[in-house]
Amino acid sequence: MKDAKKMIYNPFFLYSLLGICLVLSILFVEHNESFYDRPIAEVIEIKQLENAEMADSHNNKDRLFTQKIIAQLRNGEKKGQLIHLTNEYSLSKAYDQEYKEGQKIFVSIAENKEGSTELTGSILDLKRDQYLLFVLWIFIFILLIVGKKQGLFSVLSLAFNATLLSYALDVYLKHPQISLVLICSVAVILFTVVSLLLVNGFNDKTYAAIIATLLGTFSSLLVTYLVIELTSGNGLRYEEIQFITRPYQMVFLAGLFIGSLGAVMDVAITMSSSIFSLYEKNHSIPVKALKHSGLEIGKDIMGTMTNILFFAYISGSIPLLVLYIKNGSPLGFSLNMNLSLELARAMAGGIGIVLTIPIGLYVSIFFVNRKRART
Amino acid sequence: MNALVVLAAILFIFMTLIGGKKGARSFFAIFLNFGMIIFVLFFMNDPNINPLFVTLIACAVISCINLFYINEVNIKTITAFLSSIITIVVLILFIVIITEKAMIQGFGEEEIEELSVFSLYIGVDFVKIGASVIIMSTIGAITDTAMAISSPMREIHYHHPAITKKDLFTAGLSIGKDILGTSANTLFFAFFGGYLALLIWFKDLSYSAGEIANSKIFSAEMITILCAGIGVTLVIPITSWITAFYLVKKSNNTETVE
Repeated sequence: MKDAKKMIYNPFFLYSLLGICLVLSILFVEHNESFYDRPIAEVIEIKQLENAEMADSHNNKDRLFTQKIIAQLRNGEKKGQLIHLTNEYSLSKAYDQEYKEGQKIFVSIAENKEGSTELTGSILDLKRDQYLLFVLWIFIFILLIVGKKQGLFSVLSLAFNATLLSYALDVYLKHPQISLVLICSVAVILFTVVSLLLVNGFNDKTYAAIIATLLGTFSSLLVTYLVIELTSGNGLRYEEIQFITRPYQMVFLAGLFIGSLGAVMDVAITMSSSIFSLYEKNHSIPVKALKHSGLEIGKDIMGTMTNILFFAYISGSIPLLVLYIKNGSPLGFSLNMNLSLELARAMAGGIGIVLTIPIGLYVSIFFVNRKRART
Repeated sequence: MNALVVLAAILFIFMTLIGGKKGARSFFAIFLNFGMIIFVLFFMNDPNINPLFVTLIACAVISCINLFYINEVNIKTITAFLSSIITIVVLILFIVIITEKAMIQGFGEEEIEELSVFSLYIGVDFVKIGASVIIMSTIGAITDTAMAISSPMREIHYHHPAITKKDLFTAGLSIGKDILGTSANTLFFAFFGGYLALLIWFKDLSYSAGEIANSKIFSAEMITILCAGIGVTLVIPITSWITAFYLVKKSNNTETVE
C-alpha cells in the first residue's frame, strides 16, 4: 500500500505514464477513421487549376483558386478507393481553405453516374481532432513542467469545470422551464468551491475566499440585472446571439455570470492570502493596518484584472468587425452590432472585480478576528 | 438611457471610490485599450499590412498602457514589459502554425447563414487575423501574470540583496506556480462565459462528439482556451529569468561602481 502510494508520487513514474497516454492517444487519433460515420479521405494528389482575380461590390480584391484533389477513402464500405474532388478557395480564406497533401478531410460521396467507375463527391470539412489533441498535450506538458503539482491541479480544475458546465447545460436543455440563471448559480457555487479548494487547499484562507467570491459574483450579477431592467436593455444588441432558439437575455446574463467568476475568484484569493499572510507575520497587527494594506493591494490589482476580462471578451469579435467594415458598414454601426454584449460583459466583470475588493477585505478580516478570538 | 453607459458610470464610480486616483487611472486605461482595438481594426482592414505585425505593435502599446500607465516606469514594470513581449513573440509563432494547420480561421458553417448578406472575398488574410485574435485575447492575462511575478521578486531582492541569480529565479518560479491556477481560471471562465451561447447552440443541434471535436467553431474555441493557458504558463519562467538576470546584474554593477 505504502509502496503504491510512493509510486504514484514518483515523478518518473508519472511522466512515463503520461508518455504512454500521449503515444496511445496520438496513435488513436491518427487511426480513428473507422469510428466516424461520415466518410473520411486522405488527400494524396492535388492539381492546382486556374486562378482568377475578382472584386466584390465594395471593391475588395481577392483571388480565387481551384484545386482538383484525388483522395483515398479511409473508412466505410468503399475504404481504399480513390475519390475525385474539387475545391475552391480564396486568398482571404474566410470560409474556404486550401487543402494540402496528407490532410484528412470529411467528404460526401456522390451517386455514381452510369458507366463511370470513378468516385466523385464534395468536401465537407477538415478533420481537426488530431490538431486539437496536439495542442491539448502541449498545454498539459507546459503546465506540468512549469507548474508541477499546481499545474496538474490547474489541468484537473479545467477538466472538472468544463465537465460540470456541460452537465449544467444538459440539465437546462432537458428542463427548459428551470431558469438558466438559477442552474448557473448552482454551478457557480460548485465551480468556486472546487476551484478554490484545488488551488489553495482546505484552510481559513480558502473559506474566506469562497465566501467573498460568491458575494462578489452575486452582487455584480444583481447590479447588472438591475441596470438592464431599469434601462430596459437599451443599447444592448442581442442580434449576435439570436441564433439560439431560447430566451437569449437569460443566456446572456448566465454567460456574464460565469465569465466574471474566474476574475472574481482571483481577486478574492489575492485579498484573503495577503490579509492572512500579514496576520501570520504579526499576530497583533491592528485591524486598521490590515484594512489599509488590503485596500492598497486591491488598488494594484483592479486595473489589470479588468483588462484581462476586457481583452478576453473583445478580441473574439475582431474577425466579424473586419467583415462588417470591409462590406461597407459604418464603424459605429459595426461596433454597436458586434461589441455591445462584449462590452457589457467586460463592464459587469469589472464591477464584480471592484466590489470583491472590499468584500474580500472584510470577509478576511472577519476570519482573522475569529481566529484571534480562538487563540 | 443606454445600459452600457450606465454600467460604465457605475464601474467608474466604484473604481474611484475604492481605488482613488489609481482607480480612475485604471478606468481610463480601459478606454485607451478600447482605442487600441479600434486602431488594430483599422490596420487589419488594409490587405497590404501584415495583421501579425499590427498585433505585435498593438501588444507592445497595450502592455505599456497596462504596466507603465496604470503603475509607473520602474524596474518591476520594465522587466514585466520585456517578459510579456518575449512571451507574445514565442506564442505568436506557435499560434500561427496551429491556426494554419488546423484551419480554424474565419467563420464556421454554423455561422455562415447569418453572414450571407456579406461578401466573404474581402482580400484580408483571415489565417493571420485568427492568430492575432488568440494573442490579443491573452495579452491582458500575460501582462498581469508578468507583473504579479516581477513585483514580489523585486521585494525579495530588496530584502536579500546578496541572493544569487539562481535562487532568485527559483523564488520567481515558485511565486508563479502559486498564481498559475488562479490566472488560468480567470481566463478559462471568461472564455466559458463568452462561449456559453455557442455551447447551448451546439447542444441544441445535437452534434455527435466527433462532429463537435472536428467543427471549426468548437476547435477554434478550444485552441484559444488552451493557447491562453499556454501563454500564462510560459510567461512564468520567462519573467522569473529576465527579472533575476536584470536585478542581479544591476546590483553587481552598482557594487563595482562603488
